[in-house]
Amino acid sequence: MESIENRLGLVSFTVDSEPHIKPKSEKCETCSLKICLFICPARLYREEDGKVYFNHEGCLECGTCRIACPEDLDWEYPKGGYGVHYQFG
Amino acid sequence: MERFDAVVIGGGVAGLGSAYTMAVNDLDVLLIERGGNIGEKSVYGGRIYSWVFEQYVKGFDNAPVERWVKKERLTFLDESESVSIEFSASRACSFTAILTKFNRWLSEKVEDAGGLVVSGVKVEDVKREPLRVVADGEEIGCDVVVDAEGVNPIIAMKLGIRKDWKPSEVAVGVKEVFKFSESQINERFLVESDEGLANLFIGYPVFGNGGGFLYTNKDTVSVGLVVRVDFAMKKKLEVYDLVEKFRSHRELASLLKGGSMIEYSAHLVPEAGIHGVPERLHDKNILIVGDTAGFVLNRGFTIRGVDLAFYSGVLAGESIKKALDEGEIALAGEIYQRSVEESVIMRELERFRKALKVLENTRLYEDYPKTIIGILRDVFEIKDESKKLYDSVMEKTKGKKLRMLMDVFSAFRGL
Repeated sequence: MESIENRLGLVSFTVDSEPHIKPKSEKCETCSLKICLFICPARLYREEDGKVYFNHEGCLECGTCRIACPEDLDWEYPKGGYGVHYQFG
Repeated sequence: MERFDAVVIGGGVAGLGSAYTMAVNDLDVLLIERGGNIGEKSVYGGRIYSWVFEQYVKGFDNAPVERWVKKERLTFLDESESVSIEFSASRACSFTAILTKFNRWLSEKVEDAGGLVVSGVKVEDVKREPLRVVADGEEIGCDVVVDAEGVNPIIAMKLGIRKDWKPSEVAVGVKEVFKFSESQINERFLVESDEGLANLFIGYPVFGNGGGFLYTNKDTVSVGLVVRVDFAMKKKLEVYDLVEKFRSHRELASLLKGGSMIEYSAHLVPEAGIHGVPERLHDKNILIVGDTAGFVLNRGFTIRGVDLAFYSGVLAGESIKKALDEGEIALAGEIYQRSVEESVIMRELERFRKALKVLENTRLYEDYPKTIIGILRDVFEIKDESKKLYDSVMEKTKGKKLRMLMDVFSAFRGL
């Protein structure tokens, strides 16, 4: 069995100091669905005290959260040269 | 201000197809890719239909083909058992490849033909009148923009060329790559060194709109799952766990035994067929190609995206060339629109308009894999008294024979 953390450990990233995806905290707090928590294939969204946090460091840049989020998620691709470097895409 | 005949946004297979076509036709073309290297943002399942590359790319013989697909296998899974149908072909029309390597090879072809490829730079914006592309704080002027930014159409939406995808129109795909030795793969999948297997899976663990795949590369295996986003939302599927469940199934576990995982990836797949293609494929001289235009065809047992993406790039490149030759560059978008409409891309998407409806039938994923497995278990599992095939079929299809017949009929017509 390979946990998602182990699987992400196989992928190489160049991490920007600024996140390229930003959940809107006031909207997330009242969101009853919180689809992001289970739909992200890298499990990068987590909830703490009703607030939603996103860890951009392991982002696979698929865009699933962008499509599934019922709110208007602030989503951009990372800056040029940053983000995931797939070798076997 | 720097000027080009055309600027291509994105170094995926569609962007590379358009840049290559323009470069071999002696146009001044610049391709801008956000990834640090070409190919490192591209993800797909694992198989490419070769016709378009054989037809259009000089030196295709040297392409980084992993294996030519000679074995096609369709597997129905329930929680613990499986039934497979295998077709062993005498000739191949598709090959497995690592898209990262394949795109890198294509970008070398673009450069050899005189095109300029820049990676590690993200296009921020496209401005009109006069047309220019904004990247890295620079403005680059051009006659035509080919928008090949991929399945997340950020720029195309901003420009009003296409709407965003609904969750029912895209699937999320996750893929794992496993390392083996070449001989391990040959022995396990009963293939020669240059031959490969494409295996699609229906049923467990998605039991809904989506399924699994496995492709044999030279010394790696690509395996993964695709599930429609609306379905994953509705069923609250933990997408990061799905592929783990899939790979732990007896059937998969035995196929992957001894391999070590070397990469995990995820990507969105357009799944709406012709319904996902916008009516206008351009706004004046900004053309959309590949996933941005929704050129993916899913028939359940085959999925085509890479060949259609590349071909849409070829058509864009040829249309731009034609418009320039006629001295009417403003017509490039119109010429492209017409050439796509008359091409195999739209003919194929139109032909399989109904496929999506057939594939939406959840019985296909939930009931039928279990029914088929149940019947075969009855036939092959002999303890004392055996069951007649007829009795087993009658029992397993009780109360749903007409429904099943109609489903089979619509599958034949739609797929």
